[in-house]
Amino acid sequence: MTNDEANRLLHAYIDGELDPAKTLELEAHLADHPSLRAACGQLREMSEAVRLKADYHGAPAWLEERIRAAIPADPKAGPARPAWWGWLRPAGSLAAAADWLRPAASFAAVALVTWVVALGVMRPGEDERITQDVLASHVRATLGSRYYDVASSDQHTVKPWLSARLAFSPPVADLSASDFDLVGGRLDYIGAQPVAVLVYKRRQHVIDVFVWPVEAQKAEQTLTRDGFNIERFAKNGMAFWLVSDLARNELNDLARLLAERSAAL
Amino acid sequence: MTLAADFALQHETDPASLHDTDSAPPHETLSERKRRFEQLVLPHFDAAYNLARWLTRNDQDARDVVQEAVLRAYRFFDGLRGEAKPWLLTIVRNSCLTWLAANRPAETVGFEDGAVELLPSDEDGPEIQAARNFDRRMLNEAIAGLPAQFREVLILRELEDLSYKDIARIADVPIGTVMSRLARARRLLAESVRNASSISGTQVPK
Repeated sequence: MTNDEANRLLHAYIDGELDPAKTLELEAHLADHPSLRAACGQLREMSEAVRLKADYHGAPAWLEERIRAAIPADPKAGPARPAWWGWLRPAGSLAAAADWLRPAASFAAVALVTWVVALGVMRPGEDERITQDVLASHVRATLGSRYYDVASSDQHTVKPWLSARLAFSPPVADLSASDFDLVGGRLDYIGAQPVAVLVYKRRQHVIDVFVWPVEAQKAEQTLTRDGFNIERFAKNGMAFWLVSDLARNELNDLARLLAERSAAL
Repeated sequence: MTLAADFALQHETDPASLHDTDSAPPHETLSERKRRFEQLVLPHFDAAYNLARWLTRNDQDARDVVQEAVLRAYRFFDGLRGEAKPWLLTIVRNSCLTWLAANRPAETVGFEDGAVELLPSDEDGPEIQAARNFDRRMLNEAIAGLPAQFREVLILRELEDLSYKDIARIADVPIGTVMSRLARARRLLAESVRNASSISGTQVPK
């Protein structure tokens, strides 16, 4: 075996890809050539350094959940369903248990009716549509990383920007003292009307706060849809819908803060 | 040169295009199909993400590409033959390439042109300095800085521990090209870390 050939085979050797005959031949060659042996050792170290020190980027758990949910039951249907569809199924264990589509749909319907009846205020159709709309809006913004049309942590920038484009002036609170950082605002179309979306952040969680004018007051309601928490209430002439993957109690804190501050703004 | 791996490799450039049929096992319901997919393919979700993350070098882009790739894999699940991991990574890799070609065309240069690395090169000798003291951050930056076709084989070999044969299938090149790209990748990496070390003044024994 020539040195050139031995050099070329070193990589396959340290990677365990050399066949037994060549391995023996190479090892005999290495025994006679200390410099090549040293090179082989260095190559091993190099390989080991990459294995030990290079970042292994594991997928975030929520991404896997999201993709699981997005896998259609009918492969031919492909991406025909809107993106939020997959998110609107009940939590994992139930869904995994059986053909999730039909049981899940009826479960969702039952849950929805129960919820609406318990609420006893809104028309079911309208309520469900708003739930779907705010979720879809939040998911769209998250998927595309297009969280806001106006990026600002200053409520005095966000509020006029929104007011200039809407028929109402949404209350925009600075809650940074409570660790909810305003990052911007955007416009969207929910329940057949243009609405304001205030975007807050806590740690890495993005919280969308949808605001539009309503007449009735409404106490806080919480709802969870496939990993997303939704908080809603109506106060001082404005409906607030909060959507986020933030923990429920934290989202509840934000709802409380917004309710307190909405009077003052 | 003789390798243990089988040279007569059947390349499945894009499993989707080769197996564009929808012939599920006769009595499989859709939920069974979905469950089978989750059992076979989703355990390799981290590997899919790791590859996409190293190829796009960006979390957001990796998420988008992986999501698209996994849904695509599900559509063409019936084309799965053999092991799921290289099959899934082939789809992820092709999705990355498509994505890069659309968004950062400069980074795909060299991907499809394996002939260059097949030329014998003395520079690919094993003169690599001791890697024991490589600084972690520096090493990661050096890998990220490798041309994509070298970065790809290095990640598949060292982080995913795949055989040359699987890597050849995923990267759609002959096994000889996998070897030469890997050799080049390790050499470029060593040079890059050495340069970075000398700039920052860190002592790396030669």
